[in-house]
Amino acid sequence: MVKPKVAICWLGSCGGCDEAVVDINEVLLRLADAVDIILWPVAMDFKYDSVRRMKNGEIALSVVNGHVRNSEQEEIAKLLREKSQLILAFGACACLGGTPGLANLSTKENIFNWVYRDAPTVVNPNGNYPQTTSRVNGKELTLPEFYDHVHALNDIIDVDYYLPGCPPPPYSVMYAASAVLENKLPPKGSTLAPNRALCDSCKRNKSKPDRISIKEIKRIHEVEADPDVCFLAQGIICLGPATRDGCGEACMNINIPCRACFGPVEGVEDSGAKFIPAMASILDAESDEDITRIVNQFVDPVGYLYRFSLPVSIFRKKRAEE
Amino acid sequence: MSERITINPITRLEGHGKIEIFLDDKGNVEDAYWQVVELRGFEIFCLGRPVEELPRIMPNICGVCPTPHNMASVKALDDLYGVEPTPTAKLIRQLHYNAFIVEDHLLHFYILSAADFVLGPSADPAERNILGVVRKVGLEIGGKVIEARKRCREIIRHIASKPPHPEGGLPGGVSRGITEEDRKWIRETADFCVEFCQFSLELFKQVVLDNKEYLNVVLNDAYKLNTYYMGLVDDNKRLNFYEGKCRIVSPKGEEYALFDYHDYVDYIGEWVEPWTYIKLTHLRKIGWRGLNEGESTSLYRVGPLARLNAADSMLTPLAQREYETMFDVLGGKPSHHTLAYHWARLIEAFQAAEHMQRIANDPLLTSKDIRNMELRLEKVGIGCVEAARGTLIHHYEADADGKATKVNLIVATQHNAAPICLSVKKAAVGFVKGPDVKEGFLNMVEMAFRAYDPCLACATHALPGQMPLVVNIRDRSGDLIRTIQRP
Amino acid sequence: MTLSNYEPKVVCFSCKFSWGYLTDEDTLSSKMDNWVPLICTGKIDATHVLDAFRAGADGILILGCPEGDCHYQDGNYEAKKRVYLIRRLLESVGIEKERIRIALSTDPEGESITKLVAEMRRELAKLGPAKMGPVKERKSNEAIRAIGGK
Repeated sequence: MVKPKVAICWLGSCGGCDEAVVDINEVLLRLADAVDIILWPVAMDFKYDSVRRMKNGEIALSVVNGHVRNSEQEEIAKLLREKSQLILAFGACACLGGTPGLANLSTKENIFNWVYRDAPTVVNPNGNYPQTTSRVNGKELTLPEFYDHVHALNDIIDVDYYLPGCPPPPYSVMYAASAVLENKLPPKGSTLAPNRALCDSCKRNKSKPDRISIKEIKRIHEVEADPDVCFLAQGIICLGPATRDGCGEACMNINIPCRACFGPVEGVEDSGAKFIPAMASILDAESDEDITRIVNQFVDPVGYLYRFSLPVSIFRKKRAEE
Repeated sequence: MSERITINPITRLEGHGKIEIFLDDKGNVEDAYWQVVELRGFEIFCLGRPVEELPRIMPNICGVCPTPHNMASVKALDDLYGVEPTPTAKLIRQLHYNAFIVEDHLLHFYILSAADFVLGPSADPAERNILGVVRKVGLEIGGKVIEARKRCREIIRHIASKPPHPEGGLPGGVSRGITEEDRKWIRETADFCVEFCQFSLELFKQVVLDNKEYLNVVLNDAYKLNTYYMGLVDDNKRLNFYEGKCRIVSPKGEEYALFDYHDYVDYIGEWVEPWTYIKLTHLRKIGWRGLNEGESTSLYRVGPLARLNAADSMLTPLAQREYETMFDVLGGKPSHHTLAYHWARLIEAFQAAEHMQRIANDPLLTSKDIRNMELRLEKVGIGCVEAARGTLIHHYEADADGKATKVNLIVATQHNAAPICLSVKKAAVGFVKGPDVKEGFLNMVEMAFRAYDPCLACATHALPGQMPLVVNIRDRSGDLIRTIQRP
Repeated sequence: MTLSNYEPKVVCFSCKFSWGYLTDEDTLSSKMDNWVPLICTGKIDATHVLDAFRAGADGILILGCPEGDCHYQDGNYEAKKRVYLIRRLLESVGIEKERIRIALSTDPEGESITKLVAEMRRELAKLGPAKMGPVKERKSNEAIRAIGGK
């Protein structure tokens, strides 16, 4: 029997999603037996040319992690789309743009000026900046071109399935793998994680009062949070209500609140916008001054609400506008 | 006619890089450049973020070594809030940190370097990989590597959440304590790691000391680079990953500087070149002297070999014995032999494992006193740790609301960037003679580069197979004459 | 688009229980663009507001029922808190806080709606168009040219 061809590839990535695949440990060896991994830059030999030579659709599944912000990454994403039957967006960066998507709040210029001019350790008397082409000692050297904007994968290519998380936890990876191998996939466009919110499976939910009512917003380092009580009930911002379940509560278990790496729940496009009414409803403040006071304690709205998802949020700049 | 060789690890992303080698008219290497092609802008998009969120965001810099970023960030917060972590919190943090060092160093040794050492650099390329190693030393080794990694990462998950992206850590403490139940399996993991590190070192020594040919490669001039060395040391000048003072020793082994890392700006300068995105660090007081080694250099190296050079001894007894053996074989301190990085890496893993054992048996580990709540916000906080690859500095400045107003990061691989260029050039010069470029030379150049274990090399080594390389040989006008592709 | 050609677009949501219920809806909507009468401002989600900005609105005006008079008890109260939160979010992405307003009062004839909208348009004329999307205007300099930008 011919083994299905699988590619695992990273674009603008930190490497954590590939580590997440290795984290399935012994199961990986069994998986490597059941499929023919034809591309996995982290661990295996590969050639882009050999991928280019494949027929369209020859790869059964391409698992792609990372966001897109330069031409090289875009090229690889498109190449894989052409040659694959299915594309799985793996991890928060591929699904949502990821943490580096926060760079969309600034400009390349700001980044360059700090990195190459204003940082206190910079020694740059000649005012050098990296160039796409430069000449050194008579030789020509090149660097790739960057986009002004960080994009999630589905802004660049058509994506079949999504597996969110930063990174997706091991059992989540195994579940996705078996769904593909046993051909038990949900409809195209689905996210391979539960449809409900994190609160549903959170252990703290049991002790959550019917009506949460807070007069202060507290930051996690200012208090000794109770590990058994709902964070929101303690006045600590936790994005659980607006976040998809499935992460195994890695953060909750070490007593720090959720920051929404699993993205929005089913049917919601912008998890940040969804969180606002939920948060409004727990604020116990009536007068304008009181409301102003407590709302000002919400110190970093865009950072809290969109840490992983700015590129797919309502604030994103679509490709067509660039 | 002079030619250009492009070694493009084909967008090994995550810090992709490429190597360009230029030949002169005689076909000898004239120049070589290692270029980093990536930049993401963490120092800018972290501005405006509440500082307590930074230990959660910074690990996204690297998913292979996220723990150092998390830890440097937490320590910067300690500094920013003028607070010392409780003794128990410090033990827990060091447990987390050592667990990471062990698994990261072991992984790199077995996936990256073991093949070169166990099988020898002139072995058949198809065999020169982890599978070849496993075939030679036994299948259960592969299983043990996976086991060590898995167990250490369980510790990381327990203390700081997801190992590829830990989000734990608070100024003055940790968010979760350790119970007596936990201690049991933590202790078992520590014991397992000590044993496995011991085995790995024995394996390495057998292979190197028994193999004259290989020892000669290690001591070969093409892999030697005379630079300064930097690492953190404690009050007794012993190697420390978690804290200490920065010590820099000269190529001759004399102490050049011993300073509080808060003063890092006085010692470290970042030079900018138009052909690479990474900034080239150098000793600021000497000034940028270009890509040169020896007497007039201002370049310094970091990472395992550098740390062993910069310290007077290791922290733990068994690792210390190995330290002494290594320098005996290499002919004294400091050692400039780049390939010795692999050996030093194992000795460091050994120290981290021994230290884990110590912590696992410490009565204070399970105390409930895990948070020092006496926080007093200052304007500046600087945290420094020894990441697996070298010294890492996180420097934050905050406003009265505790939101970041300035962020400066000096990342481990930066310190080695200029030395890597030099090492690559030297290896190329040493092994490429004349216009006939053999496949074998690629591995020799690769070895120089791999020793530093920069994030990109980790990605490029293959399992099975080798680092895929495309070498384009071009004439003066840029036309392609020949391509060597491996495999 | 120069500032003199700029015609600020305001989207006005108002609750039918307190605003304009005595006047024929068609009459009122013929006097204003982008007027959205609805039952209870408590129905307004942050998504509706952000979508409106996305669609080209320069400002949002929300007119709810007087405090204590909400037909659904606390719809107007929730709406107020949401507006304050949304305002804070907008500020953090560079959209000025003057661009969203909420007034809790009553006007059965609805005559003041057009006045309030006009007042807001005057304010917005000073600010210029709302820049939806956090990416600020690019300034040309060597850094941008260096990396291949325009």
